[in-house]
Amino acid sequence: MEHKFEKEQRWTYLAEEYQTMLYRIAFSNMKNRADAEDVVQEAFLRYMKDEKPIQSKEHEKAWLIRTTIHICMDILKSSWRRKTVALEESLIAETREVYLPYQIKDDRTLEAVLKLPVIYRNPIYLFYYEDYSIQEIAGVLNEKEGTIKTRLRRGREEVKKILTERRP
Amino acid sequence: MGIQEVSGKKRIQEYFGMRQTGQAEGFQESLMQNLKYQERGSEGVEDVEPKVRKQEGKSQVGMLSGLAGIRVNTVERREAVQTAEVRHMSYEESDNIEIAVTEGYTLKGKLDGQQVYVEAKYEDGRMEAYYVDTAKVEEQTQHRIEQFALETGAKNRRE
Repeated sequence: MEHKFEKEQRWTYLAEEYQTMLYRIAFSNMKNRADAEDVVQEAFLRYMKDEKPIQSKEHEKAWLIRTTIHICMDILKSSWRRKTVALEESLIAETREVYLPYQIKDDRTLEAVLKLPVIYRNPIYLFYYEDYSIQEIAGVLNEKEGTIKTRLRRGREEVKKILTERRP
Repeated sequence: MGIQEVSGKKRIQEYFGMRQTGQAEGFQESLMQNLKYQERGSEGVEDVEPKVRKQEGKSQVGMLSGLAGIRVNTVERREAVQTAEVRHMSYEESDNIEIAVTEGYTLKGKLDGQQVYVEAKYEDGRMEAYYVDTAKVEEQTQHRIEQFALETGAKNRRE
């Protein structure tokens, strides 16, 4: 049984180490700030409740990313969520306001990535915006490396299509 | 931390512009050819671009071939780009980042003394690294790695 102090230390460590990264991943799926924050909270709670020891920091990070994505998928699949359609304007506004900590000159490509179907969105997002390797993405998403490569290639084609359709 | 995402309007416009000339998809290929050319030394010039060389003649310095990124300089062959060991540098460590989703690669750059270390990651999982001596790079270079190294150097100076 962990003492209160140890738990607080654990929370602080988790928040400092992973909060921002998990928030970005959650936001790329949920597309709004409030839901993304809820998802990250839930992922941390599940991690704290999980009794199984994590083998390494890499496993810990992968576990948290996987759990974050699963929570997002569960929410997005829910019947309540399917009835709620996010306005494109609000997505663009939120993306500009709270998204990546990078200095963004133009976020059209990122907006296009966020519009991809989920099977392409997560590999593309993790590969390009979180700088994960194909091997790491395969581990996080429980897929074969070949599958991830295929999704990256097809996802890129989808991004091109989205950008071409929008082109004035 | 100086992280900059360079993807976006400029990159997209570049993509559409490049697509018309059929060069966007050939980025990786041209890069590899250029590096092969450099490794093979001056003897390789004839093999890589014999037709271009004949057309240029020996008096023309710094002419670029029809293929993007391949410099065919018949008087002085510059060696601005050298392959390096991949460090697996993070975005946080980088001075400059280019995320080119539509072209299937990312570039990370960091000023390292007089050179710029550039790390490229491709959609098929390959990773490559280069040291670029920016003093040897022409300002109007069409070589993407060289251009990126110049941008990294300029960005670092501004900051």
